[in-house]
Amino acid sequence: MNKKYIIGIAVLIIVIITIIAAFSMNTNTTRADDELVVAVDTRNGEPEGGFDPLTGWASGHGTEPLIQSRLYRVNVNDTLESDLATDYTTSSDLKSYEVTIRDGVKFTDNSLLTAEDVAFTYNMAKENGAVDLGTLEEATAVDDNTVRFRLNKPDSTFPYKFAALGIVPSDSYDNTTYGQNPIGSGPYKLSQWDKGQQAIFEINDDYYGEKPYYKKITNLFIDHDAAFAAAQKGEVDIIELPLSFANETIDGMSKVNISSIDLRGITLPVVASGGTTEDGSPIGNDVTSDIAIRQALNVGINRDEIIKGSYNGYGIASTTITDPSLPFNYQQTISDGDIDEAKRILGEGGWTDTDNDGIVEKDGRKAEFNLVYFTGGADSNFRQSIALQVSEQAKEFGIAITPVGKSLDEIIPGVGYSDAFVLGAGNPNPYYIYGHLSGSEMRNEYNNMPSYNNSEVDALMEQAMSQNLESSYSTWARAVELSQNDIPFVWIGSHDFLYFVSDSLDISVDTHTLFPHTGDIFGNIYDWRPVNNNSTS
Amino acid sequence: MNKFNFNPLNSLNLRQKTLLIIGLTLSLLILIFITSLTIDSNTITTNFMMRQHPPSFEQLFGTDWLGRDMLTRTLKGLGLSIMIGAFSSIISSIVAMIMAFISSINKYGDTLISWLIDLFASMPHLLLLILISLCMGKGALGVIVGVACTHWISLARVLRVEIKEINTSEYVNLARKFGKNNFWIAKEHILPLVITQIIVGTLLIFPHAIMHEASVTFLGFGLSPHEPAIGIILSESMSYLTMGSWWLALFPGLTLLIVVLLFDIIGEQVEKLLDPTKAQK
Repeated sequence: MNKKYIIGIAVLIIVIITIIAAFSMNTNTTRADDELVVAVDTRNGEPEGGFDPLTGWASGHGTEPLIQSRLYRVNVNDTLESDLATDYTTSSDLKSYEVTIRDGVKFTDNSLLTAEDVAFTYNMAKENGAVDLGTLEEATAVDDNTVRFRLNKPDSTFPYKFAALGIVPSDSYDNTTYGQNPIGSGPYKLSQWDKGQQAIFEINDDYYGEKPYYKKITNLFIDHDAAFAAAQKGEVDIIELPLSFANETIDGMSKVNISSIDLRGITLPVVASGGTTEDGSPIGNDVTSDIAIRQALNVGINRDEIIKGSYNGYGIASTTITDPSLPFNYQQTISDGDIDEAKRILGEGGWTDTDNDGIVEKDGRKAEFNLVYFTGGADSNFRQSIALQVSEQAKEFGIAITPVGKSLDEIIPGVGYSDAFVLGAGNPNPYYIYGHLSGSEMRNEYNNMPSYNNSEVDALMEQAMSQNLESSYSTWARAVELSQNDIPFVWIGSHDFLYFVSDSLDISVDTHTLFPHTGDIFGNIYDWRPVNNNSTS
Repeated sequence: MNKFNFNPLNSLNLRQKTLLIIGLTLSLLILIFITSLTIDSNTITTNFMMRQHPPSFEQLFGTDWLGRDMLTRTLKGLGLSIMIGAFSSIISSIVAMIMAFISSINKYGDTLISWLIDLFASMPHLLLLILISLCMGKGALGVIVGVACTHWISLARVLRVEIKEINTSEYVNLARKFGKNNFWIAKEHILPLVITQIIVGTLLIFPHAIMHEASVTFLGFGLSPHEPAIGIILSESMSYLTMGSWWLALFPGLTLLIVVLLFDIIGEQVEKLLDPTKAQK
């Protein structure tokens, strides 16, 4: 008798488990009409410090933080559109800005967003360096709706910083817990974060602006190949993939590639070796410090070939630090890929191949140096590919570049100060040019890695910052032009961002915002709509 | 008897057959190694026109995501594996011999060595390997030192027991009573008996070392991701399996397996040759 009961119970349990499993599998594959499952790399994957703008969440480059809202947004024409702010005024000396913000905006904990919160956020960000706020002296709340930013020197680019930071509540902000439990005033709130797996965003019903159509967005933190496999099974609506996937197709999804201002280039230390940083990283390189080497690389590298190869055809070549689509852009008129010209420059600089090994020498020193690339991060294969292709091209005119892969923990801070380095850059704010070229930003993390110092370029950039924004664009371009005499960087071009988007979803490609370095797709999430299947078929 | 069914192997005796197998496998391995030495890493260039081509007659192993020929990359990687394998087997057997020697000196030496063996054996092999290669600064040197320093344990244990056994045997005692010194005993009595163990042990470390080298590079320790090491090739192939590039994993994996098996075969055959009791089994 007993045995029968036991077997009966066991059978019953198995049946129940099977039914539950079958049902839960069903709920996994069918999603409500206003829910999305995506696998995109917002800010290079999962934010390490949580969803906290003050530790790096969507800060610095003008990308959409989703959970928080910003004073301004940057549109695709690189101009500002008001968000939290209604207007700003500038003092005539460009050393003070006053921003008025909307009335009655509430954080998700129901407290009111006031000027004090804005001032707090900017002062904190300056203090901990989440955003480069070098020109900000102090932000103060004048009244509930007005914030005053006092600068330590004229800076006409400062309004772009209004789009670079999500606002956090000053009263409840705690830097140890905020990343896990962010409170903001953006279109979404974080409802769940399974570290290493996914983050679930749910619509913020109290959002002051036009609410996005999609009520729930799940972002999966999975590898590209896993994302690709999930997309093939129809489990995700949007995936972001590296450009090496550009020739693939997925049933039920269409490929969307969006051009960006995110450049890749190579830093070339301009000073000779010998020095070290405070923490002991060597500075300078005896080969790249020779101007002939840098100039030869600049004309010898074939950018179109690299775009065709490493970029898989999805990119726009650029000879300078500014993408051709930017309003402050300058492009050098050179015909690159010119091996004869590169050899001529090398020869004039005293570099000749004396021992017939295909590599040029000068004073007994071979023209060889290391080119370091990241092995971590979402674009590691892309950077690796660029490093390999540049090194192969340079060999043709007699420069031996050895690609070296380094993981993130080996790189910080100083590997790129003595070796060449595959760098990414591109920001709607022309101030990033200052970061990469100014003598005062020398070796400040990823700023000015080649230790470039040219007082004329510095003077031009200072001049640009003390002009009003519109007229400063041409001055920025002239600073870039002048720096091209010294070639502290060899830039290759901006790459497209590649997505596969479900055919049941329209991400409104026409209204997308600017894609800077570390850009993401959520900029125009307010315009995303489902596609009505009946009308298309 | 059917005289058309002539098999040349039948005319060979067991010893000759064993020698033949050893000769064939060894020459195959040497061939792989020499081919890999003749490949200049600089000639493995990217070719974006030839991205992810499946195996064909021009590229027997296909091409990868940068259009590099997988056959040359695999061979280069195998060469590295064999080199690391050889290096670490030799180091390991030297370390094992030293350990066994110390343990045979006196009781304290023996306690120390058996404690050391227990200590190293109790740690997961791969973990220890990763720790050592991390301490050595990750690069190729880290992998070599890591693999070399972790494979002496089993051989040292065997040698220790073997030497202990011989030391207590009657003829060694007799030799002592005849006034022969320790060196003479070691040379005349112990070495001839343990040399088989040493040679076979060294050979059998090879496949282990190669597999561990592949595992460590697979996990991303050691070389830059663009350099050809068999583990790197395999880990890279994982990301392209979903795109249908099966050849990136299959052929390098198979060749690694074959190389490991070849070393295993050599080890077994050499053991047969040196230890006649095994051969009769």
